[in-house]
Amino acid sequence: MNDSPHDVLDMYRQEAGLTHGELWLRYFELGGMSTAFELEAFLFGVIAPSSHNHDVIAHAINERFSELGGDHPVAYSTTPDADES
Amino acid sequence: MSMINDSSLRRAVTTIFEGQDAVLSLHGRIENAAAFELGAHLEAAIDRHPNSMVLDFSDLDFMGAAGLIAVANAEKRLTTLGTTLTVRAPSALINRLLSMMEGAETARSERKRTPGDALGPEDPDATPGVSVRMRRSAATDDLRRVTSMAADPDVVDGALRLLVDLAKSGVHGADGASVSLLRHGRISTVAASDQTILAMDANQYAAGEGPCIDASMQGHWFHAESLATETRWPAFTPLARDLGIKAIMSTPLRALDDPVGALNFYSRDALAFATKDQEMAALFATRASAILSDARAGVSDTQLAFRFQESLRSREVISLAKGIIMEREGVNENDAFAALLRMSLQHGAPLRGLAAEMVLTTHKREGERKRSRNE
Repeated sequence: MNDSPHDVLDMYRQEAGLTHGELWLRYFELGGMSTAFELEAFLFGVIAPSSHNHDVIAHAINERFSELGGDHPVAYSTTPDADES
Repeated sequence: MSMINDSSLRRAVTTIFEGQDAVLSLHGRIENAAAFELGAHLEAAIDRHPNSMVLDFSDLDFMGAAGLIAVANAEKRLTTLGTTLTVRAPSALINRLLSMMEGAETARSERKRTPGDALGPEDPDATPGVSVRMRRSAATDDLRRVTSMAADPDVVDGALRLLVDLAKSGVHGADGASVSLLRHGRISTVAASDQTILAMDANQYAAGEGPCIDASMQGHWFHAESLATETRWPAFTPLARDLGIKAIMSTPLRALDDPVGALNFYSRDALAFATKDQEMAALFATRASAILSDARAGVSDTQLAFRFQESLRSREVISLAKGIIMEREGVNENDAFAALLRMSLQHGAPLRGLAAEMVLTTHKREGERKRSRNE
């Protein structure tokens, strides 16, 4: 979670088979407020996302993994400790 | 510079190859469609494996985040190829931006956005700071952007026109090139290098046959080496010969794996397309397909509309659930989201479903409370 979070996010996005547009839609569904341009900027590391934004993006990708039958590989920043406790 | 002022009428990027050295000149404002154009130019130039690449910024007024991302991506690709990227005549502002991008790579966490980091001074709705400026645009702009190509094909067409130019000069045997696309059940030419080529495509649509139609529909290659002996398209072939065309090569274009059109090369000489030319054509077709896939050209308007309706409904339900939590717990919106996220992880259930459930039970509970109050 500490090393270059944007690389990780974009790597997982690709692994989940999501285009930037599709990820933005999912992010938007979850209430994300940033624009598609800004989301791309997060993913490419041009801008660092807030921890809230990071979590929304992470969850959007994780839900895609769930749909594909996987677990939640993308770490959250403000981690809701629920699943570990 | 005596260039036309209307940015929509002038090229945002021009590519010149000096031997194996690529020089890309950027003009005016690089944002929105122009950023896309820049991306297309960079990709096409990198595909030719240049020895070096120069970005000439001397005529650049402004570059938005999308343009910067395109440059950053190009730099990444060039680095893996061992090619250097040089920026010529950047303004102080662009210098600052580029260093900011480098900073983003190495010291992302340390970076603070200050008014000095603004992307451009002349942006009409400029506000200081990258994210602030971008956040100003409404969500509807984004919806349009995600679908921009399907809803507004001009952007894609612009990129394809550039690609046709590049493809024509990249395939030596070609006297002309075009892109034909299936849109809303009809096939039409979206980019052609000249009038003869436009007529060549139109003849095929009128005759209802030809290599470009077959490549578009069937999704594989059609190469007519010499129209003098060609027999596959009896209605179309004489029309092509009348226009002085002797060889045709049509390569299929795909959007997200579906055949959606063709990249066509025409020559006034028979046997004009050597193996090397065919390889180049395939390369350009791959590029065009990538553009079309990004644009989701294969997705119908109805499908997109449905997808958006669904998205908006989800977002509304989640907003309502956040509102309920905010009211109940006295927390802010982000904390309300975090609470929903915790529940989702605890129950291993999708966040949207939980939110819908919460909205429903709250509604029921409130209804019961009202009823008991009235009794």
